[in-house]
Amino acid sequence: MPLKQDVPWYKRAIIYQAHVRTFYDSNGDGIGDFQGLDQKLDYLQELAIDTIWLMPFFPSPLRDDGYDISDYYSVHSSYGTLEDFRTFLKSAHARQIRVIIELVANHTSDQHPWFQQSRSSRENPLRDWYVWSDTDTGYPEARINFVDSELSNWAWDPISKSYYWHRFFSHQPDLNYDNPAVREEMWNVMKFWLEIGVDGFRLDAVPYLVEREGTTCENLPETHAILKELRRRLDEQFPGKMLLAEANQWPADLRPYFADGNEFHMAFHFPLMPRMFMGVKLEDRKPITEILQQTPEIPPSCQWCLFLRNHDELTLEMLTNVERDYMNDTYAQDKEMRLNLGIRRRLAPLLDNDRRRIELMHGMLMSLPGTPSIYYGDEIGMGDNTKLGDRNGVRTPMQWSGGWNGGFSAAEAEKLYAPLIQDPVYGYPTVNVVSQKKTEHSLLNWMGRIIAVRKTTNVFGSGSIEFLYPANHRILAYVRQLENETILVVNNLSNTAQAVELDLRRYKGNILIEMFGKNIFPRVGDLPYLLTLGPYQFYWFRLRRI
Amino acid sequence: MAEVKLAEESVLTDDLLRQLIDVGEVDILVGVPTHNNAKTIGPIVETIQAGILKFFPRERAAIINADGGSRDGTSKLIASAAIHDARPNSKLYALRTFHSISTQYANSPARGTALRTIMASAELLRAKACAVISPESAQITTDWFATLLRPVYTEEFDLVLPTYSRHRFDGILLTNLLYPMARALYGLKIREPYALDFAFSGRLGSQFLAQNAWHDEMAQAGSETQLTLAAIAGEYRICQSFLGTKEHVERHSTDLVPAMRQTVGALFSSLEPNFSSWSARTGSQPIPTTGAEREFTPEPLRVNRKRLREMFSKGVAELESVFQSILSPSTLAELQRIARTEDVPFRYSAELWAKTAYEFAAAYHQSVISRDHIIQALAPLFRGRAFTFLTENINGSDADVENNIESLCLEFERTKPYLLEIWKQ
Amino acid sequence: MRQMIIDELTQAMQELTRGFAHILPRIIVLVIIAFAGWVVAYLLKMFLRSILRLIKFDKLSENAGASQLLTKAALPSATELLSRFAFWVAWLGFILLGVSVLGILALQDEIARFFLFLPRLFVALFILFFGLLAASFFSRAALLAAVNANLPSARLLSVSIRTIIIVFVLSMVFEELGIAEQTVLVAFGTAFGAVMLGLAIAFGTGGKDLAQQFLEKRFAFGKKDEGKEDELSPL
Repeated sequence: MPLKQDVPWYKRAIIYQAHVRTFYDSNGDGIGDFQGLDQKLDYLQELAIDTIWLMPFFPSPLRDDGYDISDYYSVHSSYGTLEDFRTFLKSAHARQIRVIIELVANHTSDQHPWFQQSRSSRENPLRDWYVWSDTDTGYPEARINFVDSELSNWAWDPISKSYYWHRFFSHQPDLNYDNPAVREEMWNVMKFWLEIGVDGFRLDAVPYLVEREGTTCENLPETHAILKELRRRLDEQFPGKMLLAEANQWPADLRPYFADGNEFHMAFHFPLMPRMFMGVKLEDRKPITEILQQTPEIPPSCQWCLFLRNHDELTLEMLTNVERDYMNDTYAQDKEMRLNLGIRRRLAPLLDNDRRRIELMHGMLMSLPGTPSIYYGDEIGMGDNTKLGDRNGVRTPMQWSGGWNGGFSAAEAEKLYAPLIQDPVYGYPTVNVVSQKKTEHSLLNWMGRIIAVRKTTNVFGSGSIEFLYPANHRILAYVRQLENETILVVNNLSNTAQAVELDLRRYKGNILIEMFGKNIFPRVGDLPYLLTLGPYQFYWFRLRRI
Repeated sequence: MAEVKLAEESVLTDDLLRQLIDVGEVDILVGVPTHNNAKTIGPIVETIQAGILKFFPRERAAIINADGGSRDGTSKLIASAAIHDARPNSKLYALRTFHSISTQYANSPARGTALRTIMASAELLRAKACAVISPESAQITTDWFATLLRPVYTEEFDLVLPTYSRHRFDGILLTNLLYPMARALYGLKIREPYALDFAFSGRLGSQFLAQNAWHDEMAQAGSETQLTLAAIAGEYRICQSFLGTKEHVERHSTDLVPAMRQTVGALFSSLEPNFSSWSARTGSQPIPTTGAEREFTPEPLRVNRKRLREMFSKGVAELESVFQSILSPSTLAELQRIARTEDVPFRYSAELWAKTAYEFAAAYHQSVISRDHIIQALAPLFRGRAFTFLTENINGSDADVENNIESLCLEFERTKPYLLEIWKQ
Repeated sequence: MRQMIIDELTQAMQELTRGFAHILPRIIVLVIIAFAGWVVAYLLKMFLRSILRLIKFDKLSENAGASQLLTKAALPSATELLSRFAFWVAWLGFILLGVSVLGILALQDEIARFFLFLPRLFVALFILFFGLLAASFFSRAALLAAVNANLPSARLLSVSIRTIIIVFVLSMVFEELGIAEQTVLVAFGTAFGAVMLGLAIAFGTGGKDLAQQFLEKRFAFGKKDEGKEDELSPL
């Protein structure tokens, strides 16, 4: 079925988040690279992925996994050259796969030449590129993000004997966006990569660009103004490219990042994600429906980006204390799993490696309004290693096969950038692409099928959503609609079989066609529609009137 | 052989069943039997929800209202209190959906059926702990849910009965008849065998449902007492929790007979089926009591002793023919003697009262006349006893009153063999 | 002459004998029926006695107040009485059946009437018994209610109710038995009406103060000091 062309591409995309370092090592140095990634594009194409989101690959001292950048115009030597990147990009485009890269706009590494100059003396021309102060008492209302490692947002610089502002690690000084030179330079960075051919940027940590006294220094109007300006220039010179915001905020605070369709194209729906996990544990849809009820309407050209997991900890910031305690007690009893205000585990371990739960979560991910983003490795159910510090436990090498180094690299095991997962349940001999490709009902093949079903219609990405509120609170049911297409989604959030009666009077006369097997279900009549679901089961029905 | 229950005999209407299916399994159920309580029920339901959410925030909970044909919108009020995502603007914050369902079990109130509906729902919903709250408990606080439910939910008790601080002369039927007699017969020091606010475990509820205790008319009316007695007979774990002061409810003296039917009637009916259990016990054991007794200065109550005395004397005189069927000749003669006493006050001693009560129990068991009439006949004699109790305690301290009640209880325990003697005549 | 007399006598004797022989089988049948009837009636008595004992009929009749009446009349217990009564009625019935076999026309009607009368007798007894039971029950109920409501002269009320019900029952019984129907009806009606009228007049005029007090007491609790309620609740 040909897809409508006037729907923007990011509204019908399936995003795959990967780090070039973790994916495939082509030259045997133990670190993944672009040539390797290029070789694995077939795998992604088979999975019907159409957008890759690459994590930072610019030169960096790697003290924050690449989010501390020391050169915005190049590629880290471990991953290859700029030429390698161009080749990879071409291959991707040839397979109709778009590529989004990270733009860490808020801060740089303290090894970046800009900062080296800025700190060298107070009179340096680049001094104002960063936020300096003689005291560390400024902006007291701003919260500390990495509570497990930082005590303050100010750090002392012994060289210029003053404090500099950093919202993340102390080796990541914040750029000063009040300085027009900084803004111009950042646009130049964007322009550079857009000219190479990337299809969009994920802007990291956007709420924090601008600081003002007496505020929390998040989501300030000045920040939005800067972002709108960037967008304006983007639309002018590079139409069809996309900006994705990373802003861990409540829905009401997220709304301004879309403005009137003239700021970001997409933003991650952070508050929804932990509530999906919570709903499944509570066996109650209430947290999910409530957050979506509170989610404001966004301009028609904008889109939410939904995700289950990513490279960071599963953040519990956007929850009340009661909810956070509940999540910690149920999903992270072992305190080692907790980091900052979240849980640093992968999807499969969080869901007890329960195949049905994993399918249910992906079912919701693919059917709730927004564009889904899949974290690399979750499509085969990879595990994690909490012994690796910080969030590195969820950033282990991709497991391609049961053989040498899991098929990731030909190097010695000690040379790998991180050890492979090796336990009997999640280890690479058990969980890998090769063996799952051979098994008809593996998670990998199931993911391929659900992506294929999702792609048969635009309703999931672009349609409206209306919740049904059946009295059985364990059932999450909603209707998606786009023009004359209507799809009913019913999810059983509980571990036990359930019966539910749905009020489908508005759709009386429609025949339900189950979308995976294409079998017909009874027609909607006057009476409430009775459905029974097994544990964690979900249905996608197309409503058809013939 | 257990009777087969026909579909028509079920307390669960189709509508209620459907609602129960939607609620699904719960950990805690709160039952509220009502009849035209719209004026008072709103704050009570709010307190129930606040209490459950405070002490059991993560547990699955629901409220079920068993309504006896209210016409003032009581059921709707309660049903609308549900915390449900379809109604997003609840005042209270809840982690989960908190169902609040309502069902009409009959067109006129029958407390026994209401309780049975609640118990049946608790069993189908597999509730671990169930509390029953009276719609007249205006003095309810959120702490009640910790005191009533924690013992059941976390400490494995099966029945939690309330205790209250009350005016020393409030509840004389309890302190002078129900408490001493139940204590002497069943061997447990339960202050309030007739409780309107209590909690029970799923185990006890299922067991009680299975018994055929619902057919006896008298028992239907006094199901709470029956439940207490069934728990005692079944050797379930019982404890008492302090719930605060008992708010005084205005009642007429004409309310005595219905109250006696529900309580004394239930107590007497329980004696026959549980004979093997109570006949073997001697003495009485204390039961665990939690919750601090609070200092309580009661408001003074108006007391009309003269009236009690009159009704006692008149009763003894006019009901002679009835008493002849019930009481032993010596007891009757003694009663007539004190009724004729010229000097006020006369003394209806503890010994005589215990004998009277036991003879009535035996007469009830043997059905010498209609059982309901036996209960009614006891009322004037009770008034006489109340008169003596008031007279003896009007000037004493609270400790003195407690001592008097204790000695009355001991008298009942001492006289228990007499009941066993006359039981089979 | 002598021969004629002898002939006549012989003929008379023969007729008598013939008649006798004619009727003898029937008498034998009668005797057999009577004997069989005695056996059946005896069995019935035994059977009825055990059933009545089983349902504790004596207890019931004690409740009805019938036992007291019986003892006062030096009659045996209700069970015994009923059993014996059943015995006699049954045996009598059989005997009459036998007599009817004899074919004596004059008696046939009477016998038929007897059998027709039996059901009504039973009904009347039934009414009497349960009427007494009801009288006893309701009078006691009234007594208890009045005592507990602190009404004055509770006993009077109780006895009046018992009397009224008994009178009513008796008149029903008599009507059923067909004894002096009209008389009873009229007597009952008159008496009842008179009582009611008398009460009304008494209340309305001479007893109006008492009536006033009575009504006030009944319907306006808590207003006067004398009948002031206390604030105690029993539970």
